[in-house]
Amino acid sequence: MTVTDEAPVGGGTPRSGEALVELADVQKWYGQLHVLQDINLTVSRGEVVVVIGPSGSGKSTLCRTINRLEPVDSGRILVDGSPLPQEGKALARHRADVGMVFQSFNLFAHKTILENVTLGPIKVRKQSKAEAETRARELLERVGVAHQADKYPAQLSGGQQQRVAIARALAMEPKVMLFDEPTSALDPEMIKEVLDVMVDLAERGMTMIVVTHEMGFARTAANRVVFMADGRILETADPETFFSNPESDRAKDFLGKILKH
Amino acid sequence: MENVLANFDLVLKAFWLTIQLALLSGLVALVLGTLLAAMRVGPISVLRGVAATYVTLVRNTPLLVMCIFVFVAAPNLGLFVGMPFLLKGTIAVGLYTAPFIAEAIRSGVNAVHLGQAEAARAIGMTFGQNMRYVVLPQAFRASVPPLASTLIAMTKNTSVVAVFGLMEATARMRDFVNKNSDDTMLIFLVFAIGYVILVELISFAAYGLERRWKAAR
Amino acid sequence: MRLTRLKVAAAAVLVASTLAACGDAGSDDDKGIDVDVQEDAAAEFDEGTRMRELADGGTIKIGVKYDQPGIGFKGATDDQPVGFDPEIGKILAADLGIAPEDITWVETISANREAFLQKGEVDLVIASYSITDERRQVVGQAGPYYVTGQQLLVKSDSKIETIEDVKGTEVCSVTGSTSLSNIEAEGATPRGFDTYSECVEQVLNGTVDAMTTDGAILLGYAAEHPDELKVVVDPFSTERYGVGYSIDHPEMCEWITETIEEAQEDGDWAKAFELTLGKSGVDTPEPPEMDACS
Ligand SMILES: Nc1ncnc2c1ncn2[C@@H]1O[C@H](COP(=O)(O)OP(=O)(O)OP(=O)(O)O)[C@@H](O)[C@H]1O
Ligand SMILES: [Mg+2]
Repeated sequence: MTVTDEAPVGGGTPRSGEALVELADVQKWYGQLHVLQDINLTVSRGEVVVVIGPSGSGKSTLCRTINRLEPVDSGRILVDGSPLPQEGKALARHRADVGMVFQSFNLFAHKTILENVTLGPIKVRKQSKAEAETRARELLERVGVAHQADKYPAQLSGGQQQRVAIARALAMEPKVMLFDEPTSALDPEMIKEVLDVMVDLAERGMTMIVVTHEMGFARTAANRVVFMADGRILETADPETFFSNPESDRAKDFLGKILKH
Repeated sequence: MENVLANFDLVLKAFWLTIQLALLSGLVALVLGTLLAAMRVGPISVLRGVAATYVTLVRNTPLLVMCIFVFVAAPNLGLFVGMPFLLKGTIAVGLYTAPFIAEAIRSGVNAVHLGQAEAARAIGMTFGQNMRYVVLPQAFRASVPPLASTLIAMTKNTSVVAVFGLMEATARMRDFVNKNSDDTMLIFLVFAIGYVILVELISFAAYGLERRWKAAR
Repeated sequence: MRLTRLKVAAAAVLVASTLAACGDAGSDDDKGIDVDVQEDAAAEFDEGTRMRELADGGTIKIGVKYDQPGIGFKGATDDQPVGFDPEIGKILAADLGIAPEDITWVETISANREAFLQKGEVDLVIASYSITDERRQVVGQAGPYYVTGQQLLVKSDSKIETIEDVKGTEVCSVTGSTSLSNIEAEGATPRGFDTYSECVEQVLNGTVDAMTTDGAILLGYAAEHPDELKVVVDPFSTERYGVGYSIDHPEMCEWITETIEEAQEDGDWAKAFELTLGKSGVDTPEPPEMDACS
């Protein structure tokens, strides 16, 4: 795992490892609203970056631009050295390499748990059904829901569903995983089971960009914390430094609010 | 005087034609309607325009006009001349019903949670795969009730071809009424019951599907 | 009791109608026969009869078909219906001293003929109106002024010649009609349509092999397309067309019967046929024997 350095506020951080995801001068507007402003961020292979910030600051949007669920207005986004394709098949191929886990799980409601995990490998990666199922059962085993394989998503708890969603993303053998508040729709007793899976993933060397307010996770698993407000990256630091000694007033203010709870 | 009950084989034969018409037209309408719905929600603006135009044009045209086109106007231009009447009926009723199916499915597509399509895109599915494996199967489940009403209306609409050369249930009913005007009440009853049975079968199938898919929604 | 008519030579009829056509808007050579309108006709009929009332009133309402070429047809731009039935109507009106232009033509369709007579919407129905016992229960029917039967209308080059040839062919007629049931019984696939004109189009464009209904109706269509269509097969049913009148005026029967018999004798009936149904190329038939009034 990459060692974290001190990082200057607001800018992209040159990493010692090989850059896997690079955002340079990214701008995005929603009409009049400038949701992403001068975003520069480089994530190295194997690195875990936690994105934190107040509601509406653009964290989700940032995440979604990396697999182009949202197009940007200007700037460059590179994944593994190549720029994001515009549309069509090439874009679909790119997305297959970037795993994404949503706040609301978004498991395919009409498919069983096993089918949820095998659909992508079979249809997109063109694996055989048997091959895909073997791998899917391994992954379900790993996230602890193997015994639910034949149930439908609605029959599972939120925590179980989110772990299935992680398995579904992993089945595509992604180069990087994006998590957009993966635990904020969960009851407290289920948060841990999902975070445990994520920590395990981080320990296995997966490159991860995680939008979360779970400071425990950030402390244990993250190499870096990126603090966003009003569409800008205001601060980048290793977790200890950020949580104990934030530089910007906005970060101090924000941490003060979430630590009260 | 020819009695309906004594000539019940003619009644059955007529309803068999009605059933064939309904099945074939239903198939055409479902396939074409699904295609139109996919075009309407798809990313290609030309196809969106084509589908929207077809839906608007045909949905605002009476079935009778469609039938006159297929059975009278087209043959006068040399089209469809050697074509079996059943096929012409299928074309008329199928093409007419397709936009209603498309709208039912489109409402079903809109009922599918946005996150479903997003998750499919996120694992690298193309628009076609997304539609085929994720959105449309769920849209179908959500549109079973409107689809059933559309198919019921279509089944009853097949009676329009009674005046376009097909001896289906309604045409046979008129035949019986003409031959046996004393028995009109009985004749009407026999044929009404026949239609009720057909329509109930559709309702039953829809109900069964809804129950089966309840768990998976 | 009648005045003798001035006989007009056939040639004169043609000349007159051609001249009339030049000055007239509307239908061109379909003017029909020249009838001799009775002068002072009212005096010929007894007080209290319906004929006297009509003659005194100087007008008559006659129901005819508007959609059967040759029999009773009125195009969208025509002001008068033309066909064999309207010709019979003119002959009857003339005997009451009513000129053709004073006749009020009313369109009757098959389903409303009895009702129109009963309600007095028309005084006469002359609309390919087959005489049947059922109908004679509710209305009066004098005639037959024309006898026809179910035949087939086919393309000129068709191989159908006898009724046996229809087995396995597709034959159209009006949905629910007796003709359609009859042809089905002969082993043809029945193809019902809403109107005869749609059915004829199916024959013309080759979609079906034949059309079937009363020969008189078929002759009318054959007359419209003499090069493309012909009427075949010996009539395999008998339809006797009668003139419908209200059952409240039984005295009309004698008058209708006598007037038509007179026209049959003096050649007006034949002329009416030649100028209408006869255009299909068939020979003018012998006029039928009229039933006696009861
Ligand atoms: N599709 C959209 N159209 C217009 N505005 C949008 C759209 N999506 C997001 N926004 C706006 O962009 C801003 C950033 O949204 P984003 O979802 O990225 O914030 P976030 O940091 O993820 O917030 P949260 O913590 O609430 O999830 C917000 O003001 C939001 O209202
Ligand atoms: Mg968000």
